[in-house]
Amino acid sequence: MKSRFTRLSSYWNKSEHAAYLFLAPSFLVLVLFTVVPLLGTFVISFTNLNMFFTKKDFVGFDNFIRVFQDDRAIHSLVHTIYFTLLETPAQIIVGLLFASLLVKDNVFNRFCRSTFYIPVICSLTSIAIIFSMLLDPNIGAIPFLFSKLGLVAPQFFRDPTLAMPTVAFMTVWKNFGVTMTLLMTAMQGISKSYYESADLDGATSSQKFFSITLPQIVPTLGFCILTNLIGSMQVFDQVYVATGGGPRFKTETAVQYIYSRGFKPPYELGFASSLSSVLFAIIAFMAISANLYMAKKEREMR
Amino acid sequence: MTNKKYKTLVGRVALFIVLLLIAFPFIWLFISSFKYEKDIISFPPRIFADKYTFDNYVKVWTTIPLVNYIKNTVIFAGGVVLTSVFFDSLAGYAFARMQFKGKSALFYFVLLTMMIPFQVFMIPLFIEINQLGLLDTYAGLIIPRMTTAFGIFMMRSFFVALPKDLEEAARIDGLNEFQIFIKIMLPLAKPAFLSLGIFTLMNNWNDLLYPLILTSSTEMRTLPAGLSLFSGQNISFYGPVMAGTVISMLPLLMIYIFAQKYFVQSSAMAGMKE
Repeated sequence: MKSRFTRLSSYWNKSEHAAYLFLAPSFLVLVLFTVVPLLGTFVISFTNLNMFFTKKDFVGFDNFIRVFQDDRAIHSLVHTIYFTLLETPAQIIVGLLFASLLVKDNVFNRFCRSTFYIPVICSLTSIAIIFSMLLDPNIGAIPFLFSKLGLVAPQFFRDPTLAMPTVAFMTVWKNFGVTMTLLMTAMQGISKSYYESADLDGATSSQKFFSITLPQIVPTLGFCILTNLIGSMQVFDQVYVATGGGPRFKTETAVQYIYSRGFKPPYELGFASSLSSVLFAIIAFMAISANLYMAKKEREMR
Repeated sequence: MTNKKYKTLVGRVALFIVLLLIAFPFIWLFISSFKYEKDIISFPPRIFADKYTFDNYVKVWTTIPLVNYIKNTVIFAGGVVLTSVFFDSLAGYAFARMQFKGKSALFYFVLLTMMIPFQVFMIPLFIEINQLGLLDTYAGLIIPRMTTAFGIFMMRSFFVALPKDLEEAARIDGLNEFQIFIKIMLPLAKPAFLSLGIFTLMNNWNDLLYPLILTSSTEMRTLPAGLSLFSGQNISFYGPVMAGTVISMLPLLMIYIFAQKYFVQSSAMAGMKE
């Protein structure tokens, strides 16, 4: 008995075997709570499953046909893409601008960096609560400032055309600190000698930015664009809290519609899953094409 | 030279305006949370009031189940941090410093799962947790998040950078693999733990959709999920919601003041993915 135990423990003590023990908990969690549910989404897409399990039949492509015939579903995807197109370029440009303005290490710049990062650590929920009160026509400070200047304050979240740009602005306001930090870290890693030799050639600061800084940070820039695109396509929190999808569903995003169709009456998990599958396909397509494009760009730059 | 000075001056002024733009919503929330209800909803709105009060900070505890929200958020986010930092470093360590069959395929798998957004598999996850009878429980909130692909990736990058001969000496001393990990590696990994721990804490403390779908009773809501239900509901909630929002943001802000370095480091780490 004892020899069996020692044999067993010496087997697991070899690092090529012990590694599996080290990996086991993480892989169990990743497989059970990421891979299985992801496959589950595709399977449930083809059923009419509801939350109470009173229906669970295979319905083929019915759900997908219904998704593409449902105006609200199509609009939610369009709104999501609209939000992404507003938010991602703005966040990248603002992040890049402040990264290059604050890259030098001094007291004032460090203070700015620390302040710009504060919204990042707050929840989207609290930011959306603050903004919806701040922009509220009845109690908000911003409409008040407009009226002081003799202007008619826009309705912001309550205006069908302005609501989504306002949500996008709020998101950039909250998140640009991340992009700024990432890009600044990349900029600080560029060798000083590039700039010194450019100075000898009498290059202007904008020349230095476009021919040294920008090419050197392309990999990080690509990473920022990619994660931002993927993140924006999943937009939920800020819309859920600030507008609830309104006015007149003008800001309802895909994830929000998935949520209200699956977790609110009529609790149609099957239909909601097929919309999830469509969203996943769009995100995967965007991620893969962005990746391929970045890889090509990087090869050209080198 | 004067041209350059002029440029820096313009840059400074622009930065001051942006500083104000960032700080103003927070300052406004903070001031307003001390206003009387009649001053909050006065028309025309005013930024400052004549009198201030702690009323909202008193009322918030009775109008909103804030004690529950705080307790749930601390248990959920804290539980996730403790478990995921440990399991992530176990896996990251194995990927960084052990040789085994299928290593690169398994690591590729981890990188792939990092790309799968939670939002597209939340429905089956909800069904799973429900079938396990863990809906509306702390275990149900914590278990699916006990590891993250990003954490494994980050801990691997950390362990890879440690000197090569660390574990050789320990093996000669007769320590087994697990002892090497606990006694030699973990003490060295403290800075990485802090970065990953703060990153994980921030993500879970602030998360809305995940706790929203995995909890159903008011008593189990976390701060974001709970506060979102009360925001904009009724004018009489405005003051307490403001106070609740301030309270919900305070813990992370305090940690940020004392451990800013680790917040920024975890952000920077996220950028090293390539």
